[in-house]
Amino acid sequence: MSASSTPLTRRDFLATGAKLGALLATAPYIARAAGPAGKSDQLNVALIGCGEQGRVLLNAALKIPNIRFVAVCDIWTYNRTYAERLLKKFGHDPKPYEDYREVLSSHPELDAVIIATPDFRHAEHTVAALKAGKHVYCEKLMSNTVEGARSMVIAARETKKLLQLGHQRRSNPRYLHARDKIVRDARLLGRITNISGQWHRAVTDDFGFPVGQAIPEAKLNQYGFANMHEFRNWRWFKKYAGGPMSDLGAHQIDVYNWMLGANPRMCIASGGVDYYKTHEWYDNAIAVFEYPTKEGLVRATYEVLTTTSAGGGYHEYFMGDEGAMKISENPKYTKIYREARAPEWDQWAAKGIVASPLSGEGAPPPVKPWEKVGVKKLGGPSKATVDVRETAALSAWEIPITLDKAIHQPHLENFFDAIRLGTPLNCPGESAFATAVTILKINESIAAQKMLTFVPGDFTA
Amino acid sequence: MNWPTFRHEAMATFFEITIADQAEDYARQAAVAAWRELDRLEGELSRYVESSDIARANRLARGATIAIGDDALECLLLAAELALVTHRAFDAGYASERAADASADSPLFTLDPGAHTLTSHAARLHLDLGAIGKGYALDRLARVLGDWGISSAGLNSGGSTVLALAPPAGELGWSVGLGEGATHRTVPLAHAALSGSGIAVKGAHLIDPRTGNPAIRAGRAWALAPTATLADALSTAFFVWDDEGVAAFCAVEPEVGAALATSHSLLSFHGKLREFCTQD
Repeated sequence: MSASSTPLTRRDFLATGAKLGALLATAPYIARAAGPAGKSDQLNVALIGCGEQGRVLLNAALKIPNIRFVAVCDIWTYNRTYAERLLKKFGHDPKPYEDYREVLSSHPELDAVIIATPDFRHAEHTVAALKAGKHVYCEKLMSNTVEGARSMVIAARETKKLLQLGHQRRSNPRYLHARDKIVRDARLLGRITNISGQWHRAVTDDFGFPVGQAIPEAKLNQYGFANMHEFRNWRWFKKYAGGPMSDLGAHQIDVYNWMLGANPRMCIASGGVDYYKTHEWYDNAIAVFEYPTKEGLVRATYEVLTTTSAGGGYHEYFMGDEGAMKISENPKYTKIYREARAPEWDQWAAKGIVASPLSGEGAPPPVKPWEKVGVKKLGGPSKATVDVRETAALSAWEIPITLDKAIHQPHLENFFDAIRLGTPLNCPGESAFATAVTILKINESIAAQKMLTFVPGDFTA
Repeated sequence: MNWPTFRHEAMATFFEITIADQAEDYARQAAVAAWRELDRLEGELSRYVESSDIARANRLARGATIAIGDDALECLLLAAELALVTHRAFDAGYASERAADASADSPLFTLDPGAHTLTSHAARLHLDLGAIGKGYALDRLARVLGDWGISSAGLNSGGSTVLALAPPAGELGWSVGLGEGATHRTVPLAHAALSGSGIAVKGAHLIDPRTGNPAIRAGRAWALAPTATLADALSTAFFVWDDEGVAAFCAVEPEVGAALATSHSLLSFHGKLREFCTQD
């Protein structure tokens, strides 16, 4: 019998469009799930800054048990309303605010504040929240000035409140496995000698705003913005942010510092506004660093391009004398390679440190019987001929870790666990400060068109 | 008249938005906002994105529960409803492995809308929103355009689902083609969505969820519905059903229509699409 001959009943009618009807129609699929046990560890949280990044953090935080949003704050009603509506769908009842100071003064029950405002406001918002006795999760880059970043570290120290910065790769289980197991414990890369990294992004148009949703200019000025165009495209203006090296590069150069456990001793960089007509910040930039480490010098390069998606997306690539690891938030750009001179990695596969490339997603097609696998043994001149050709490809392996959560969720969980349980923060203000100093020095080098050096004291707030 | 069309790649295909009766710069900015929303939706709904709600659901052990976002919840509620009303001719979970002790008609997953959670009841859940997610995305993009005060626009995903908002001034609708060869025709579409399913473009990719075997229909099937989500999913169901099943469904759903290519020279119309196309 074909399903088409099944008689249609009243229950078969489409109820879509009427929420109640839809729920009735889908009754077999609806069931109350067992909730998290108790609400004794509920944390009251406010979101300051409800733009794109604020929404990303909101969506991730909503997947964490016992987080209650009590306030949302944004100077743009359009963004604030979006956050309010979303939270109400999850049963929260946040109070809306335009001015962050009212959030801090009106909610004594607040435990923590998530800050996702433009960079030039991070220091002001963070310091005020810390001084109001709240723990703070603040988006990167920490600040667009070294002094701003320093004031945040000092405020956290003085208030004894927690300050986590949004370099979320530090809580990503794949990155933690890479650093702790692959690089440090198993030492599969051997001595790391070089790093390269990149974020290549296709051309994007400037952001606009819906008709009727412009913020009056007087209000924009009150909050430090020149006009609506700069408000919507603040990342491209020097007054508000640090440009692509800060927006994109900061994530990855933070990983350089974090993976090596070191800070650079010099940087030299080049960049310019060669393409876009409406931006102040450079559209493409390339930087070179030297990292002194206990095992020797590591030379590193990094490039951020905002005019092409060519060349393999975004990743950090750590290269050593025994192996190389290309790692990214996107698993499709992630791979680990063994140098031919290094010992076989089968034992590490058996221990779950790496995964064999011959299985799982992205595995190469099965080898045909006529394709030879393995290393050719060199024979004597009279016994065999060695074909002269390009260097053989390195053996490619996988990092056997899946990020089974929203991308920012583990980093937020680490922050909330630090509040509830005293777990150490993965990106406290002190170490994020070193990254901010590194990034801001790159911008300085581009402006000065020369090599600049660091002294160790530069990285301490 | 030529209206500006904007294109973006996502969900393993391309999306296009054509915006009428607006200044081009404003239309472009609205399209930028729509593409940001599309990229966000792909991150929530694509089973190929490691951290998406759907990929996470597909890794669940039987009986395990995860928190999901609002879009995954809404899209899965719609998918569940469509699986029920089509008697699984559309079923986003058809490739799942059912638990040995579960009855054939028990749900593979349940949703708790109040808590925004999903619980798996399958031995191995395999959700794939490929036949509904792009339509769902088009409906969400239309909502973004609505925020921007844009009422007249035509949107499509990969050329297979078209969502027509209000027509441009002076037009009956957005001109949309259906049929093949001698039966090809254009219809003016307004405030409705039309979606086509077939195997000519991508090869044999349509499985009958009820049997797990390739669907037997040779020609294409089109579904007309008030939303792109419905049109997308129903075109799959129409492809899987036989002609009588499609006709019966359209007879009881006043807002739905179907077109079936029964041969190179014959196209049959059902329900609302019959009214539409006989006016042509």
